[in-house]
Amino acid sequence: MFTRVVLAEAVKSLKIYFFSARTLFWALALPLGNGLYLYFLYLPFAAKSVDLQFSGSTYAIDLVGFTIVGQLLYSFFTMMLLAGSSFDSERWQGTLEALLLSPANRVAVLLGGALANAVNYMWMLIALVISWIFVFRVNVFVTDPFALLVSLVLSYLAIMALGMCMETAGIYSRLGSTIVSSFQEPMMFLSGQIFPLQSMPTFLLPLSYLLPLTFGLMAVRLALLGGAAVYALTVPFAALACMTIIFLALARLLVRNAERRAKKRGTLTQF
Amino acid sequence: MAPHSLRVVASTAKVNVVMTWRFFSWSGFALRFFTPIMTLGAAWVLYNLVYTPSGILGTGVGTGSSGYLSFITVGNAFYVFVFAAAFIVGRVMFWERATGTIESTFISPMSRLAYMSGIMVAAATNSLVDFTAVLLIGLAFGFRITVFNAPLFFCSLLLTAFGLFGIGLVTNAITLTFRDRTTTANSLMTLFMVFCGLVCPVSLMPSWAQMISKALPLTYGVELMRASMLGLGTVNATYDIVALLILGAIYFLIGAIALRKIETNLRKKALFSVF
Repeated sequence: MFTRVVLAEAVKSLKIYFFSARTLFWALALPLGNGLYLYFLYLPFAAKSVDLQFSGSTYAIDLVGFTIVGQLLYSFFTMMLLAGSSFDSERWQGTLEALLLSPANRVAVLLGGALANAVNYMWMLIALVISWIFVFRVNVFVTDPFALLVSLVLSYLAIMALGMCMETAGIYSRLGSTIVSSFQEPMMFLSGQIFPLQSMPTFLLPLSYLLPLTFGLMAVRLALLGGAAVYALTVPFAALACMTIIFLALARLLVRNAERRAKKRGTLTQF
Repeated sequence: MAPHSLRVVASTAKVNVVMTWRFFSWSGFALRFFTPIMTLGAAWVLYNLVYTPSGILGTGVGTGSSGYLSFITVGNAFYVFVFAAAFIVGRVMFWERATGTIESTFISPMSRLAYMSGIMVAAATNSLVDFTAVLLIGLAFGFRITVFNAPLFFCSLLLTAFGLFGIGLVTNAITLTFRDRTTTANSLMTLFMVFCGLVCPVSLMPSWAQMISKALPLTYGVELMRASMLGLGTVNATYDIVALLILGAIYFLIGAIALRKIETNLRKKALFSVF
């Protein structure tokens, strides 16, 4: 039952998103444009690499690679945040009450929406990887493919779990999607997507360490561009694994609480 | 016909200004500044903490911290102006359709261009508030006005608004055809913003990107605006004004023709609100 709900919700979300084949073109154009925007931000500087300090070592990361990895994970992160609007959409369509009346597991509904967005993300990933590698000749330096695989999987899971928490904002408030969207830019800044974390103002670092995107960027950049091995990345891996568990549990708690609260106050469709 | 169109422009502009400020919320207003603040913050960190100030390439950016950060601040203020103006104009038809008023709008005898012009006037007026706010925020990051050329400044604003109107018409035509709001408008606007030299002088971009830049009116608009506040330098203002005028006229023509053709087509196939 749980799996069927996940799949049904994922298929529904995918169909809504890809209502036209032309969607694909724009879905590819947007992340490519965002990536170029960041790349152009670096162009006025003479340096073509970024020094990434981690665990007492300094890794010289190719600037284009630094940008592309940042953009890849950030795009995924954005897709997960956008998944948060699915409850809002249900509300607009007048189907939120019916959805919450059904015996479907709420976490399965959340997971289905997140899964659909993760699948949508694959298109962005393909577009970015192909265009940036072939156009800009990114210097990839992988010494431990397993470290890269673990980095990607753990980042994916932790970000998806956070996305599921964000989805519940759509039940808590009619401003749900606006609130969630407003998180995008601050998180982009705090995660070290644009510049390495050692350059972050110290007072903001505690906030950075609360984000899975921060550790995901750290792990993927070091594994893909810095040649880091799996044992060198135990700290970000442990942080990402913990965040996945915590955010999944939090999502379950939040959706249950939001539903109970909305039903009690009668605010599922009316405010 | 002309007085009637002027009345349409004035009344549409009035309705839109009233609607914007009647439902004003501070949180919504503040949210509009996240992107420019983050870009300014990122540029500040890149300049002061990641790269040494000597690492900046001087071409077109100016010298010193205030030179670079002023370059970025004006670019971001321009971004906010464009975003607030072009996004609103570009999504008019989407919202007409979403709110179920598209058929009655197209039934009315008013000029479509006058209607769109009214929305543009309101959007440009409202976005001037955002524009000023970003310049003020920029002061905290090191933005300094070196010279203020008022005629050039207002000329750049006016001509940019004209270019944006053309872009808004084109976006509307696409939105009506593609039947979506965010994907088309977001992607189109992102591509426009990327290549017009907001965060990097066009001369530093790869040659293929420079070719795209030259076809965008916003490139000349932002260059003129920077020249009006940071000094002319090597900028040929006359060339930029002429280019902005010509490109604005081209986009306007394309947008107006596309909108008319799409309207005819939608009427013929009864596709205004039903798909």
